[in-house]
Amino acid sequence: MSTPATAMLTLERVTKRFGGLTAVREVSLEVRTGDLLGIIGPNGAGKTTLFHLISGYYAPDEGRVVFDGQDITGQPAHAISRLGLTRTFQIVKPFGNLSVLDNVMIGALTRRASTREARGDAERVIDLCGLGPHATARARALPLALRKRLEVARALATQPRLLLLDEVMAGLNPTELAAMVDLVRRLHGEGLTLIVIEHVMAAMMRLAQRIVMLHHGEKIAEGTPREITSDRRVIDAYLGEEFVLAEA
Amino acid sequence: MDPARPLGPAQIDVFAQLGVSTVLLGGIYALIAVGLTLIFGIMRVVNFAHGEFLMLGMYLAFWAFTLLSLDPWFVLFVSIPLFFGIGVVTYLLVMKGVIHASHNVQIFTTVGLSTALQNLALVLWSGDFHTVRPWHAATPIRLAGTAFNLSQVVAFLIAIGLTVLLVLFMRWTHTGRVMRATAQDRDAAILMGIDTDRVYRLTFAIGIAAVGAAGVLVSPLYAVYPTAGLQFVLLSYVVVVLGGLGNMMGALIGSLIVAAVEVAGSYYFGTAWKEIFYFVLFIAVLVFRPAGLFGQRGAENLGV
Amino acid sequence: MVRAVGRHRGALLVFGVAALVPVFVRDAYFLDSLVLILLWGALSAAWNVAGGYAGQVSIGHAAFFGIGAYSAALMGTRFHQSPWLGMLVGVALSLVAGAAIGYLSNRLRGPYFALSTIAFSQVLLIVASRWRAFTSGSEGIPVPFRPGFATLGLSHVAWVYMALAVAVLYWAIQVWLEHSRFGYRLAGVREDEDAAQALGIPARRLKVIAVTASAALTSVCGTLWAQYVGFVDPFYVFSVDLSVRFALNAIIGGMGTALGPFLGSILITSLETYLRATLSGVKSGFTGIYLIVYGVVLILVVRFFPDGLAGLADRLRARRARAQA
Repeated sequence: MSTPATAMLTLERVTKRFGGLTAVREVSLEVRTGDLLGIIGPNGAGKTTLFHLISGYYAPDEGRVVFDGQDITGQPAHAISRLGLTRTFQIVKPFGNLSVLDNVMIGALTRRASTREARGDAERVIDLCGLGPHATARARALPLALRKRLEVARALATQPRLLLLDEVMAGLNPTELAAMVDLVRRLHGEGLTLIVIEHVMAAMMRLAQRIVMLHHGEKIAEGTPREITSDRRVIDAYLGEEFVLAEA
Repeated sequence: MDPARPLGPAQIDVFAQLGVSTVLLGGIYALIAVGLTLIFGIMRVVNFAHGEFLMLGMYLAFWAFTLLSLDPWFVLFVSIPLFFGIGVVTYLLVMKGVIHASHNVQIFTTVGLSTALQNLALVLWSGDFHTVRPWHAATPIRLAGTAFNLSQVVAFLIAIGLTVLLVLFMRWTHTGRVMRATAQDRDAAILMGIDTDRVYRLTFAIGIAAVGAAGVLVSPLYAVYPTAGLQFVLLSYVVVVLGGLGNMMGALIGSLIVAAVEVAGSYYFGTAWKEIFYFVLFIAVLVFRPAGLFGQRGAENLGV
Repeated sequence: MVRAVGRHRGALLVFGVAALVPVFVRDAYFLDSLVLILLWGALSAAWNVAGGYAGQVSIGHAAFFGIGAYSAALMGTRFHQSPWLGMLVGVALSLVAGAAIGYLSNRLRGPYFALSTIAFSQVLLIVASRWRAFTSGSEGIPVPFRPGFATLGLSHVAWVYMALAVAVLYWAIQVWLEHSRFGYRLAGVREDEDAAQALGIPARRLKVIAVTASAALTSVCGTLWAQYVGFVDPFYVFSVDLSVRFALNAIIGGMGTALGPFLGSILITSLETYLRATLSGVKSGFTGIYLIVYGVVLILVVRFFPDGLAGLADRLRARRARAQA
């Protein structure tokens, strides 16, 4: 069991290659219990691939992934999720023909043996995520903002200790964005450990305690939001001068 | 055959015969498969009814021969535009509506088409086995100890000729390039202003014309009956999968490999077990090398 | 209890009527149609477990049907055993074959998987039709009729209730799938396998279980059918047409619904018996007509009525509810 002083998740020089392309190159990082770690970087930097590697969707070619003291390198995604590490997908994958309630129930059934208990869990999570009015709607019929919330709710229902959120803010208007930021902050406040990939820097700045920047598959910077946004390499590779000026 | 004995003239004859059989058969399979790999590669649709169009080609040759005393070689020239038209009509009536639908919908649509066509033939022309026996089916050709009939050789030559024409068309003409572009990236093609509906229509029509022509060509070589297409369906998919979907050169080489397996297998185990060889080969390719011998590894995960 | 009855009104009606028919009708031809409707419905329900609920569309389920039919016939004629034993043998074989096909479903995507199931059933057809020594080859095997329950030699009325029992059982299995933990997770796998895996669901394992179960259920009905009809012809029991038919009933009635396969069977089997009756005097070629109809119906339904009859009923019900609100 990890304590605040020990790491919940450790990546040791994780590498993934696709043919001639190295998508993730020797990335090491550490996430402690209760952290909210942000990952930024331009498109193609390897952020989502990193999530794939952590969650078991891909197996690393080199390196180790350790979760709660247990080496989970190369284990299949469903086994890793059962251990308490769940991820969402950048392009949301709702169970389209099923209702919102059914979607979240399926997540809850990872922990629950009975559908009755799972339904109770699901209803609570749905309320928590503000999807209450839409519980009986077919997932396919939901607009994007609600689908993103459903993606989070479904992952939450698996009762994860570590949740990986992949660009949940993308494509949201300012109101939806504020609501999502609020949700993530609440979840973090209740003790959930999170790793968040985001392009929406405004959200990232408000949420993350620490930020890691990936570029061409490598970790090129790590630090507090303030440190990251004044890091020359980060500005050159990703943020741009306009961001610095705006923040100033 | 005793492997310990040195190869005498009899054994060389056998190998030569098997070899030439393979090549002749391979050419015909190539014509069938090339149409299928086009449809598969460009439209990303598995056409379960492909064998039925072959069967219709065989019946066309049979009726033309029986009723009008027309030789299949002559019918061939009529069959190409005819089946092109049939392909266009089938596309408009059946395929167009399901091109963007889920896999299941596409599967059942073409399976339904297959069932309907098979039984249309059954109802119209009965389940009797027919044969087409033009003069060249019984004309032997002997070459260096091997023996064939003229039908086989000409079928092969025409099949190869048509296939080469098709390959050249795809490679050198503007339309061919447009089709290949659509195969590689449907969305990009649309953004480039390509009318993908026209491309699909053309692709399907060409594919059906090819297999219809193949049906006419093989009519002197196989029995003609409503489910005659079934035996070719599986092997054409084996060829397409072996060669990598959408890859026409792959289809050619895959045809030779499949023909080799069939010829050798039939020689040692008898013709009855053909389907089992196809099945084993099919499963083996799909399990060990799903992108085919010439496809890109991982390609099978993108977009079937 | 009352709510459950209300929810399953349709099933109660269908099976209730089927149960009452032999009380009032004694016409052998009519009872025969009823037995076939129920058996084909059950077979489609078995297919539905893999195709509708697990999303693994197979066009080769005749393989398992034929295994069940041949097991009964061979155990009966060669080894002089009860067809019930034959049923067990058939189930055992189908479990193995189903697991193999299930394994394939994890390696092959939709259309490729469907192709491989066709290939598998055709291989069995060839083996059965050529292995003269064991299976009497292409002549088929007549299944002897020995009266009695142990030998499944039943009267028409008894067959109706036998088929009804199986139908209700298979319907109940599907209902269980709709409400159980296994069924929910299977639905997730069907909708999006990657998302399901990410939620902790061992998708590959569930698919194999579903396909294997579907195979065994199909095999049982194959045995019953062989005993009922009395003759096993390899070109029929392993045919692609038959496989398509299992799928067809489920699709027309509503894939992935419990009553759908039976609704589809009522429609299709009735149509077939009607066509066969009216055209029975004409040349045998006309037996193909209903298959042409099936093919066309399949194309139309899958394109314009993807939810089938059950979906139509749902939509009507929803519209009526909205009108009343």
